[in-house]
Amino acid sequence: MHLTDEQLNEYLDEAVNERAQIEVHLSACGECAARLSTLRKLFNEMESLPELALTRDLAAPFMRSSGLPAQLPAWLPLTMALQAAAALIVFIAAAPFVIRLIPDIETPSLSTVLIQFQTQWTAWLDRLSQFHMPSLPAFSLELSGLYLMSALAVVSMLWLVGNGLLLRNQW
Amino acid sequence: MNAPSDRDLILLARRGEAGAFGELVTRYQTGVFNVCYRILHERGEAEDLAQEAFIRAYDRIATFDVEREFGPWIRRVAANLCLNHLESHKVTAELDEERDADSAELPEAVQEVRERSEQIRMALASLPAAYRIVVELRHYQEMSYDEIAAQLNIPLSDVKSHLFRARKLLAEKLHASD
Repeated sequence: MHLTDEQLNEYLDEAVNERAQIEVHLSACGECAARLSTLRKLFNEMESLPELALTRDLAAPFMRSSGLPAQLPAWLPLTMALQAAAALIVFIAAAPFVIRLIPDIETPSLSTVLIQFQTQWTAWLDRLSQFHMPSLPAFSLELSGLYLMSALAVVSMLWLVGNGLLLRNQW
Repeated sequence: MNAPSDRDLILLARRGEAGAFGELVTRYQTGVFNVCYRILHERGEAEDLAQEAFIRAYDRIATFDVEREFGPWIRRVAANLCLNHLESHKVTAELDEERDADSAELPEAVQEVRERSEQIRMALASLPAAYRIVVELRHYQEMSYDEIAAQLNIPLSDVKSHLFRARKLLAEKLHASD
């Protein structure tokens, strides 16, 4: 008694429970082994069918920009936390100096502001008419001012670098 | 820097990065198109339905389970679309003949492989639509009988009979062309 076509199909599809029995039969029956071999060849031919190429790019409607999106490095979000922490530290450190440096604020009237503006504007025009290259003044800052400026420069650098990294990874 | 994984691209696409989804399309478009082509055997329709499969996938990306593999999923979406297309249109379109214009200049062995591939494609295309779908899901998407039955909503016995008859027909056609 030979194996049925269904048994051979299910054997190759790995969908039979009695695999061992089928294999015993196949080892003893040349005819069934040949039928299995023919069927296996058909499977192989179908599954090795080469893929055809597309004539158009299906990704085009989805692409707003070219190039691969870069994967964001895991540490990048830390720069934002670092920026916030640095800004907070500088703010606390600078607060006493800023409070000391800022004079009491008086709220001038609109007419006063306009008069001041006109005065400044006239003075600026006068200075511009008599402009000549000034010699550079000597650079002198008190320690507290230097400290404040350095801190602000560090924060600015951190801010620029952090945002630069974030923007570079946008696409 | 390593190329982003499918999972990363899906997460980016969910955040509105259409380009990330475009990269996924680039990765899988050939495979998806070939699913459609094996079922429909008409290039224009196969490309249109492959595109449609990606558009539907993009619409559903917010609810896609990122732990699932995208490739097999999109291929099944495409197979379903083709199945619906066949059912709604009862396609009897003329079959494409995929031949290369410069095949005469190719070595004989390469030409033989191409001709055999074409015979297999034509034999597949000549099968009834119900058989073609089952062959696609079993041989190219490696689904089990039970999975195919669930996917197509047909009895397990139909899956087996469609598959066995399809193979018999294919063997006859290919044997005849040998």
